[in-house]
Amino acid sequence: MPAPLIFSTMSEAITDRGKPGSMTVASLLTEMAVIIMELDAYRIEDEPYYEAVGNEISQFKAAWASRMPIMLKGPTGCGKTRFIEHMAWKLQRPLITVSCHEDMTASDLVGRYLLDAEGTIWHDGPLTLAVRYGAICYLDEIVEARQDTTVVIHSLTDDRRILPLEKKNEVIRAHADFQLVISYNPGYQSVLKDLKESTKQRFGAIDFGYPDAGLEAEIVEHESEVDAAVAATLVKIAERSRNLRGHGLEEGASTRMLIHAGKLIRHGVPLGEACEVALVLPITDDPDIREALNSAIAACA
Amino acid sequence: MTVTELRNLIHIGVGPELEYVEPLSDKVLNVFPETLIARWLRATRKLEQAGYGQVVVRRYVRHSVAVAEIVSPLAAINLADAVSTVAIKAGIACAEALPRVAEDAANHLKEDQLYISWMGIVVRFAALAPESMSALLDRMDYLLDSLSVSRLEAWVFAGLRASGGDVVRRQRFFAFDDPEAERWLQRESGEVIFSDLEMRLRYYLDALWGFRNPLREPPINAPKQARRRSSFDRGVIRLPTSYPGYRGVQAEDLYRAAVAHIGAHMAYSGDRYELAKLKPIQVALVSLIEDARVEQLAMQEFPGLRRLWMRFHIAQATGALTAPSLFARLSRALIDLDFDDVDGFVRKGRELFFDRRAEWGDPTISREIGSLLGNDLGQMRVQFNARTYVVEPPYRDDNLGLWNFDDEHQEDTLEAEQLFDSVRIEQQEDETETPDREREEIEERPEDDRKRANVENVEIDGIPVARYPEYDHETGRERPEWTTVVEYPPTVGETSSIDDFLDRRSDIVHRISNLISSARVSRHQRVRRQQEGEFLDIDACIEAVVSRRIGDTPDQRIYGRWERRNRDLSVLVLLDVSESTNDRVLSGTETVLELERNATALLAHAMAGLGDPFAVAAFCSDRRESVHYYRIKEFDGEYDALAKAYLAGLQGGYSTRIGAAMRHAGSELARRLTHRKLLLVVSDGEPSDIDVSDPEYLVEDARKAVQTLSQMGVDVFCVGLDSGGDSYLHRIFGRRNVVQIDRLEALPERLPMLYLRLTA
Repeated sequence: MPAPLIFSTMSEAITDRGKPGSMTVASLLTEMAVIIMELDAYRIEDEPYYEAVGNEISQFKAAWASRMPIMLKGPTGCGKTRFIEHMAWKLQRPLITVSCHEDMTASDLVGRYLLDAEGTIWHDGPLTLAVRYGAICYLDEIVEARQDTTVVIHSLTDDRRILPLEKKNEVIRAHADFQLVISYNPGYQSVLKDLKESTKQRFGAIDFGYPDAGLEAEIVEHESEVDAAVAATLVKIAERSRNLRGHGLEEGASTRMLIHAGKLIRHGVPLGEACEVALVLPITDDPDIREALNSAIAACA
Repeated sequence: MTVTELRNLIHIGVGPELEYVEPLSDKVLNVFPETLIARWLRATRKLEQAGYGQVVVRRYVRHSVAVAEIVSPLAAINLADAVSTVAIKAGIACAEALPRVAEDAANHLKEDQLYISWMGIVVRFAALAPESMSALLDRMDYLLDSLSVSRLEAWVFAGLRASGGDVVRRQRFFAFDDPEAERWLQRESGEVIFSDLEMRLRYYLDALWGFRNPLREPPINAPKQARRRSSFDRGVIRLPTSYPGYRGVQAEDLYRAAVAHIGAHMAYSGDRYELAKLKPIQVALVSLIEDARVEQLAMQEFPGLRRLWMRFHIAQATGALTAPSLFARLSRALIDLDFDDVDGFVRKGRELFFDRRAEWGDPTISREIGSLLGNDLGQMRVQFNARTYVVEPPYRDDNLGLWNFDDEHQEDTLEAEQLFDSVRIEQQEDETETPDREREEIEERPEDDRKRANVENVEIDGIPVARYPEYDHETGRERPEWTTVVEYPPTVGETSSIDDFLDRRSDIVHRISNLISSARVSRHQRVRRQQEGEFLDIDACIEAVVSRRIGDTPDQRIYGRWERRNRDLSVLVLLDVSESTNDRVLSGTETVLELERNATALLAHAMAGLGDPFAVAAFCSDRRESVHYYRIKEFDGEYDALAKAYLAGLQGGYSTRIGAAMRHAGSELARRLTHRKLLLVVSDGEPSDIDVSDPEYLVEDARKAVQTLSQMGVDVFCVGLDSGGDSYLHRIFGRRNVVQIDRLEALPERLPMLYLRLTA
């Protein structure tokens, strides 16, 4: 399964593709063809493992039917990204993922002119690629991006479904298969960093939580290949840390962390140690909480 | 020597007045060797002639005899000199208190040499810090509980040094108002103590069971028995300050075991048992079975707890058949399956308990099994003394929380806690005070009260500190020196109410702490697209060149730089404490003032965390001649226990002459040298005062005050607690500088957030 390429900035993506300085008009055309082919590289061949927690699959399918923009909410490591991969596979669409960060500008999403020996050439950003060729564009952790960046998606997320490229004097009508999906972690940051109301209201939302204990244990068992009893203990440990959410911890241990712990255990690390490495140490720097968590872990096994 | 001879000696040698010695004659003769009786009598006589009052002499006589008995006659005689020095340096009241404290100290120290060192500390202290003497004497028993003499000395001098000659700080230290005092004490006593582990235990309890109950130490004046074991009662968990004899990791495990055990109770114990007609021994046994039952259930959930608890079950299957020993063995038998006890009673208990394994989920089985076993013990004629019984192993709690005592009120956590404190204090007094002493106390009291009342009268008078003009909108002119601001010392309240609130809302506190850490500045920030700077902004450069190529005018701002943005602001929070703040909030039980207070506590927490200099003041007014102004926290002062106590002590009264108060607060703020000066006003109602009939007058004046302040560079921002107050608040502060809080309950949460946004 080719991993979906994640652009951090556009320039990085270009260096990946070769030296931009040597482009000619002819090579630009081949470049376009390459891009179209590369969208194929964004296709997901094998089914990503995903266990439905609720009705999110049917909800997403319904939203897809009308290409409704969707917001995936939920704590980190609860399976948002895996879910969208799974859906992209199910719907047979390429998936373009962009991890947002605070230095990201609108050009990083939309594209920009670059220079080469001949002159200036336009280069599509990941969002533009998705809009042009009909992919699912997944903007991960959208709140991290600056607000002036996020407004570029406005025209795409109402019934216009267009993307104006101001610099290039071009308006792109979205491909019929284009869909925009963002993820949003309503954590403590939301006081200082929040989506604009006008952005929020363009999206339907699917809320993700951690699965219930039984299901989560199954997931841990499947992904890390530990036996059922160990998986159940790991889930119990995770619940301990989730009790502290908002009372010392920003976030409890995620399903992802449990899988990490499980993988360590499978390779012979004792449970207590594995939990310390995979759960306790990454999650907090506060010695009191570490101590308390380690004691709680000791109580669980 | 006989009693008669002693009497003669009193009459001949030292004088006839020593009638207090007479009732003690026998004891005196037993305790003092003949050679020293005369010296002791002379010492007594000297005290009497010094004119410190009869109480001093009477107490010296009574307690010095005890000291002589416990330590040595010489120590008792020397005590007279100490009493005398203390009387001269620190006052009669301290001298009156000293003899009894000396007897307590004797019980702790016993050895002559140690005792003399102890008296040395007291005498030196009286000379160095006379004002704190009574505070020190009050807590001597408590101090000696955990400190040896040399450590006591270290602690006392740490306190003297820490306060650096500042009398007020010294008083607070020795009265334990200063948290430093407790911290030093712990350091000196060298044991693992509760407060070191508090956060850890709290997280542990929360992680295991999801309970967020406040953890507390027993009050300082709780009887010793109550300080040895943990306890839980209506939501409050009490843990001993330390577990003497347990050190290092062992002590930590013990605390952890205690917390896990109480958590198990809270998770699995049902309603409280009715006391009904159970005998004390049955109560103890029912509690013991219940302990075992909840532990079994907890271990099904968390198997690791067995390891934690087991290591404290060290009872051996041998020894005398006393109740405490049998109980400890039974406890062990119920948790430790490998423990083999041949005793019939222990075996029967274990069988009864494990036979009903299937019913462990039902709390009533504990009562049935416990009562049965209690009967058995009764028939075995095993003595049980409820008074001296202490639960074993030490991690188990005193089980008071399991029983329904009829005489208790069912109150909320907080009130219950206070109730608990007062009950414990009562007990304490009952224990130690003899009827004799009470009579003395009553005799003294009227005088004491009179003194105290005088002091209060002096305090209640405020000091007029400034006059301010007031703006008359009718004439369009300011009336010079129209209002007088009178500063009053704030009342000291119970900090526990604020601490409880912060505990209860630890989620908000935590969230604010997080916000603070992200808002705390001095982090480098990259600024792009600048006219000048230290590096080229590549994106901007490319764009500029692109624009030039396609014939546009390129943007000149192609540089970037690193900038460090500092917070440079002072904030004064001005609280309206007029009469209307005593109203209860519509949907709740709290008053507006309580909400203001809690909100300010959270805000102060945030501001102290950010390191922003801030002050807190409160105001109300009683005509123009007297605008009351209370300084809760100064810019220079720390946000410490005292500031908290002042905040907790706020009381609502009088009216809202907001203009004068803002001018006063503003003038202080204007003197600050920071870049930004922010006056944050929290008010619940329209400006008003009893000498003003025109409703517009004070509103207009306040508006004028805000304008004047903004000319002085002070930003004024208002948090309105009156949802109908849009009109006038907007007029006073300007639309953008007012935030209305509709749901008052949300104030504590909103205020710090608002502050962070205002200052971001």
